[in-house]
Amino acid sequence: MAGSTADAALAQRLLEKRSDYAYAPWLDRRPSREILESHGLPGRRAEAWRHTNVGRWYETALADAEAAISGNGAGVRIHAPDGVEVVDFANARAAELAAGVLGQAFELAAQPLAAVNALLLGAGVVIRAPRGLQAKTPVRIQRLGAAYQQVLIVVEPQAALTVVEEPATCSHRIVEGAVGAGATLTHLRRQGAAASRECSLVAVRVAAGGRYALAQTSLGAELRRNDIIATLAGVGAEASISSAWQLDARQHLDNQIAVRHVAGGGLSRQTYRGVVAGRARAVLNGKIHIAPGAQATDAALTCKNLLASTTAEVYAKPELTIHADDVKCSHGATVGALDEEAVFFLRARGIAEDAARALLTRGFLREAIADEAGARQLGLIP
Amino acid sequence: MSLLRVADLHAAVDDKPILKGLGITIAAGEVHAVMGPNGSGKSTFANVLAGRPGYEVTGGQVALDAADITACGVEERAHRGLFLAFQHPVEIPGVSNMEFLKAAVDAHAKNAGQEPPAPAQFLRRVRDAAAQLDLGADFLKRGVNEGFSGGEKKRNEILQMLLLEPRLAVLDETDSGLDIDALQVVADGINAFRSDANAVLLVTHYQRLLNYVTPDRVHVLIDGRIVRSGDRTLALELEERGYGWLDG
Repeated sequence: MAGSTADAALAQRLLEKRSDYAYAPWLDRRPSREILESHGLPGRRAEAWRHTNVGRWYETALADAEAAISGNGAGVRIHAPDGVEVVDFANARAAELAAGVLGQAFELAAQPLAAVNALLLGAGVVIRAPRGLQAKTPVRIQRLGAAYQQVLIVVEPQAALTVVEEPATCSHRIVEGAVGAGATLTHLRRQGAAASRECSLVAVRVAAGGRYALAQTSLGAELRRNDIIATLAGVGAEASISSAWQLDARQHLDNQIAVRHVAGGGLSRQTYRGVVAGRARAVLNGKIHIAPGAQATDAALTCKNLLASTTAEVYAKPELTIHADDVKCSHGATVGALDEEAVFFLRARGIAEDAARALLTRGFLREAIADEAGARQLGLIP
Repeated sequence: MSLLRVADLHAAVDDKPILKGLGITIAAGEVHAVMGPNGSGKSTFANVLAGRPGYEVTGGQVALDAADITACGVEERAHRGLFLAFQHPVEIPGVSNMEFLKAAVDAHAKNAGQEPPAPAQFLRRVRDAAAQLDLGADFLKRGVNEGFSGGEKKRNEILQMLLLEPRLAVLDETDSGLDIDALQVVADGINAFRSDANAVLLVTHYQRLLNYVTPDRVHVLIDGRIVRSGDRTLALELEERGYGWLDG
């Protein structure tokens, strides 16, 4: 990041505010400090923040930096099934579990907000499904109780785990996952309507034959930004990412989602459906990256958006980078309105116009709803 | 008393006059066919009856059971017992056929001030009607018309008609795109539906459906007006001679 696209002074201000790290002292913050010192923070003109005013998030971050960081794990509320280990970052055991895993699923230089998270971290947990465990019930993350949070999910080889992120507000959350060989992580994210400015990073690395399924259901916030990176690092790994969103009023949601095929024989599906009303703004940047050598990759992305008002805004951009020649790859993005022919059809069957539009909207979203309970909870379906 | 009475109906689409003084009267228990060449206004007539947005009535009157419905909204017409079987049924992915049928039947019940049917009872009714139309078991779970063949879509329209029990069923080119077996199934559905409590208006280009559903009256629509009416034999005559001899 150079010139007007970076904000070095702001990074300095944040660095000066925080140099005592009472919470999770084992966590190495040096890389985060170095990144902020050398790169600064992205400015408003940075390409990755084209449609989201990151300056407003910085206002929140600066205010957060003034506040005391609790960081004793008192605010954490997580339900986990038998056999799954949940350890607070305050505990030395967390350091053992995090060693060699934490920070491996993303490049810090490309995620400067994650560096801010490390500086201001007030709550963190490691969730571990031991080798071969088939967890019967999901881990429910209800509350982490700090403005800056980290969740590290380790699913060891051949284990299967579902993790649910219940609606909760914070300024920044990192969810990092390591999915072992032949393991499965099902990740249900539920984001409720909020007046907050919040950013998050989901970064998951999937080993050979492993599978990561993300079902994200979102309402809007004053500012909500999700950076999601799934890396298929082992042969035959799979990722399925579905996200459905519904925005109204002046809500804002920005999804920056990338699937990176590093090893061959991988399969990925990205399915996005959004309904945007009022003066809301939705952004979807969906990337498929196929590295050299990732042969026999099968990747697809579809993104469909419904504009429910003339003042709503949608910025949808699929992006493909392909460096292998034996791949199957498809993408598509559309922005449109409800099919008036279908509205008439339903009305001609006696269904009132409002109900007809609601039914069609639900049907439209349903194609990207892989977490029915979450969609019901957030009111996307009845 | 007539069930449907259309008098001197004028209608335009995009300011272009299509119907130019159409008149027709149908009594309860009757099946009428409106036939005509392409562009004569057949589909416009069917859509105007259903109150489709964009189809502007510029004159005349439509009365259903003696009540003027010319200015009624689409849903209200449906609630009063008017049913339009679409020439091109719409596909609605993500909404199952069952969910759609329940929503439609519930909306009718609600309008009539009745409780919606109990789910188990409703399911039985839908299954029976679907079986009658040779629609398979998975059909109710699929998205509305999603990936249906032309014949399945048309049979789905007839299924909706059977469940909603309208006073007047307007079938817009329901026979188009059907093979002979599907045509027979659709015709059986219409024949099972017809009774003294309702009426059927078949809008069609060809007379072949009329081999299976015998109409009481046949009307020829040319350039927005009924130019001739007759009994069943008129359809056969059209089949033989085409529409040319009726021009003007």
